[in-house]
Amino acid sequence: MSLPDRIDGPLEEWVLKQRWFASKAREVASVNVLERVALSEDPPLALELVEARFQAGTHELYQLLPGEGDEAVRMLARLLGEEAQVGPVSFHGGLEPSGAIRAMGAEQSNSSIVFGEQQVLKVFRRVEPGVNPELEMLRFLSARGFGGVAALTGWYETSGEVMQATLGIMQEFVAEARDGWELALDDPLGTLARLPELGAATGEMHTVLAADPSDPAFAPEEPSMEALSLLTATIDEQIEQVFLDLPRDTPALAPILGRGEEIRDRLQLMSHVGVGGRLIRHHGDYHLGQTMLRDEGWTILDFEGEPARTLLERRRKRSPLRDVAGMLRSFAYAASASELLRGEPAPAGWQEQARQGFLDAYLETVDQSLLPAGRPATDKLLAIFELEKAVYELRYELNNRPDWVPIPVAGIARLLHEEVPT
Amino acid sequence: MQPAGQWFESDPLWFKTAIFYEIHLRGFFDGTGDGHGDFRGLTEKLDYLQWLGIDVVWLLPMYPSPMRDGGYDIADFYGVHQDYGTMDDVRAFIEAAHERGIRVIADLVMNHTSSDHEWFQEARSSPGNAKRDWYVWSDDPTRYDQARIIFVDTETSNWTWDDKAGAYYWHRFFHHQPDLNYDNPEVQDAMIDVLRFWLDAGLDGFRLDAVPYLFERDETNCENLDETHDFLKRARVTVDAEYPDRVLLAEANQWPADVVEYFGEGDECHMAFHFPVMPRMFMALRREEATPILEILAQTPHIPDNCQWGLFLRNHDELTLEMVTDEERDYMYAEYAKDPRMKLNVGIRRRLAPLMDGGRDEIELLHAMLFSLPGSPVLYYGDEIAMGDNVYLGDRDGVRTPMQWTGDRNGGFSRADFAQLYAPPLMDPVYGYQAVNVEAQLRTPSSLLRWLRRFIALRKEHPVFGLGSFEALTPGNEKIFACVRTYEDDVVLCVHNLARSAQAVELDLSAYNGRRPVELFGRSRFPKIGELPYLLTLAPRGFFWFRLEVDDEPA
Repeated sequence: MSLPDRIDGPLEEWVLKQRWFASKAREVASVNVLERVALSEDPPLALELVEARFQAGTHELYQLLPGEGDEAVRMLARLLGEEAQVGPVSFHGGLEPSGAIRAMGAEQSNSSIVFGEQQVLKVFRRVEPGVNPELEMLRFLSARGFGGVAALTGWYETSGEVMQATLGIMQEFVAEARDGWELALDDPLGTLARLPELGAATGEMHTVLAADPSDPAFAPEEPSMEALSLLTATIDEQIEQVFLDLPRDTPALAPILGRGEEIRDRLQLMSHVGVGGRLIRHHGDYHLGQTMLRDEGWTILDFEGEPARTLLERRRKRSPLRDVAGMLRSFAYAASASELLRGEPAPAGWQEQARQGFLDAYLETVDQSLLPAGRPATDKLLAIFELEKAVYELRYELNNRPDWVPIPVAGIARLLHEEVPT
Repeated sequence: MQPAGQWFESDPLWFKTAIFYEIHLRGFFDGTGDGHGDFRGLTEKLDYLQWLGIDVVWLLPMYPSPMRDGGYDIADFYGVHQDYGTMDDVRAFIEAAHERGIRVIADLVMNHTSSDHEWFQEARSSPGNAKRDWYVWSDDPTRYDQARIIFVDTETSNWTWDDKAGAYYWHRFFHHQPDLNYDNPEVQDAMIDVLRFWLDAGLDGFRLDAVPYLFERDETNCENLDETHDFLKRARVTVDAEYPDRVLLAEANQWPADVVEYFGEGDECHMAFHFPVMPRMFMALRREEATPILEILAQTPHIPDNCQWGLFLRNHDELTLEMVTDEERDYMYAEYAKDPRMKLNVGIRRRLAPLMDGGRDEIELLHAMLFSLPGSPVLYYGDEIAMGDNVYLGDRDGVRTPMQWTGDRNGGFSRADFAQLYAPPLMDPVYGYQAVNVEAQLRTPSSLLRWLRRFIALRKEHPVFGLGSFEALTPGNEKIFACVRTYEDDVVLCVHNLARSAQAVELDLSAYNGRRPVELFGRSRFPKIGELPYLLTLAPRGFFWFRLEVDDEPA
């Protein structure tokens, strides 16, 4: 079980080997407990804000819940049910989840516990000051009756000496559903048939997210005149960075090796598009693995945004096409993963059909005022976001999964070959 | 206690690693289309500021004012000038800035008010008025005659006769800016309440304008008096007790030994500008030798650990030459103010880029030296795109022209008619908005703007620049300014070539024997440091920043 935390041995060693510890590549100078709150004496359960301090003197903060046994996890559930206030930590929701408990597998940046296959409590590990976007997004979407999310049922937060921050959320558990990513690999053709539904659900989600001008955190914004230039300058810098470090001896990189300048020129060309559409809060890390399919339809999960970005960045309003691009890239991954993971190539033309089915339904459903005027402008902006994503993927795969490098490489090469829409 | 703000980690020393960005609100962006910059416009540009990577916005005074001194003549401490918006606009701006991780400080003039302020109007109305004693009156215009006149170009005395009051009133700056009487406890209380009002509105602190002059005493020059420090300490106690994680930044254009008094024992101002180092960076560049910088740093006393210097190249005022010798001043005028119109008071009213004759290498080198010094850099709006100035505008308005956003009408600053603009944007062929603007530089990967953003990001990755110790190296080649900064395990070596020619330098790095210099921008590994002097060659006006890494591999 991923919770409570049983810290055996020195704290620093323990923290560094945890899956959720984000900065494995950096040299850690020390790990210290900055703030400790005893949540319960019996069973023993505490909440600690722990600082990992790097050699340069910067730091990251993590939430630990040291305690013993399943009873400690039940205690967390009880505190949520009681809407307790323990020192600086306050619990909200008023629902005490019950039933058999189990850890949710395959967790990366967080730890989640499922209660009775009905509720799931997600404990954020990396903690940053401010409202976590997942809490904001779920609260907003649940309150407006958007059916494509698992409703928020509780959360807890701290307002202590170190910072004010959201520490965890609880929502309904999506039972008897299949993960969109697994589904695409197991049953590519069956999935293909359901993708227009996903496109429509995504369009509906964006429309709802843009529907309340009275809430400053969600009110749609007009892009400023330099919004697009800021975006392309940022992506351009990322391309430059990635190409600076590109290894020369990786065959998979051949299609793009030495073509950094060409890609940057391409980006310039694509960015000649009038400012248009609106900026809204959006999912932020949208891909097939964040979706579940039930008989009733698609459910969208994990509204935290890309874990590598800061909380402040993840809360920024951007074009909803950024989510769309994330999903389109995910189709490219699914098509290639079929071969990589299952040794079975995806059906011919699968990626193209997936893109089209999803995109057509999305563009038909979404509030048109959120998009740039005209399909060519939409396509260009979408291509810019896809490039951004592919560059991010390239860096990630080079560091983590060299076998997967060909996927972002193909995505980038594809943009080089495509006509720029005019 | 007011919370520190939900978007920030608690950190009373946050300002030590921050990069400040000074904004002339009137000139930044016009959100309402009336020809003046305003809070709504500024809010629209927050994405740009976040992209640039700055941590703190410093606003010039935004209070109601007759604007006879750029707003430093405050007519009401409890409001905002109608050209800039409403208090709601201010609060919305501060909240939006905080949501982007940007803090906001504002100028506050403690020393004086505008003569339009109702306190002064009451005070002058009759000797018996309750506000009479809020200002400094005299029948004798020779009192305090050891106090210098600051605005020598416009003022002939620190006393001005007021017919209505039937007395002279005291003013260290313009005659329309009567000094408040800090000997009156009511004035002290009133000004502390002003601090509270703005901290309650969300401000993260103040740049305290003209702090050395709060009190007057016979037989003194009326600057840096003990009573002034006592009052500032009182203000600090209030801020610390009621508002965590705020900053008081003193503007005291004085010698380092006097300025450090404004830090107290770490119980007065958190920050103070280091004025004297600024002209010496320009001097060092012209003379092609590091000596002027090294000398002033050697004269700079240590400051308490919880304090920080504010460092800058240029700001909204003239490049002040008060803190240099007469000889140095003549040199600076000869080199940097060839047109007499460029001189103002005791200084030079020009922007950074024209001072450098538009030289990109020189602008980068000055930023590198600024960022390498112990303190928090304060950038001035427009300098990140190498904006120019207009010496034909009066006073200091020539360095306060509209920010140049695009090559479109009015430089993208305002949708108003040209004639409505508070000042004409620059339109000359070299620095005009068609040649120099944010949009063009965003689109050009090699632009100064894009370079500076990367440089800001680099500095922020290394808290050593804000928190670390500073050791100047003194190599045989005097054209080189080199220093080592150390904080915890981070050791950084910064080497700058002040000369117009390529230079070689041998640095004594034997204390770091066995470490490997890794260049911070491109991460190139240089040969390991050994017992012998370390040889580096630098391009004209070039610089290198290295991290000195522990490295077990052979050289």
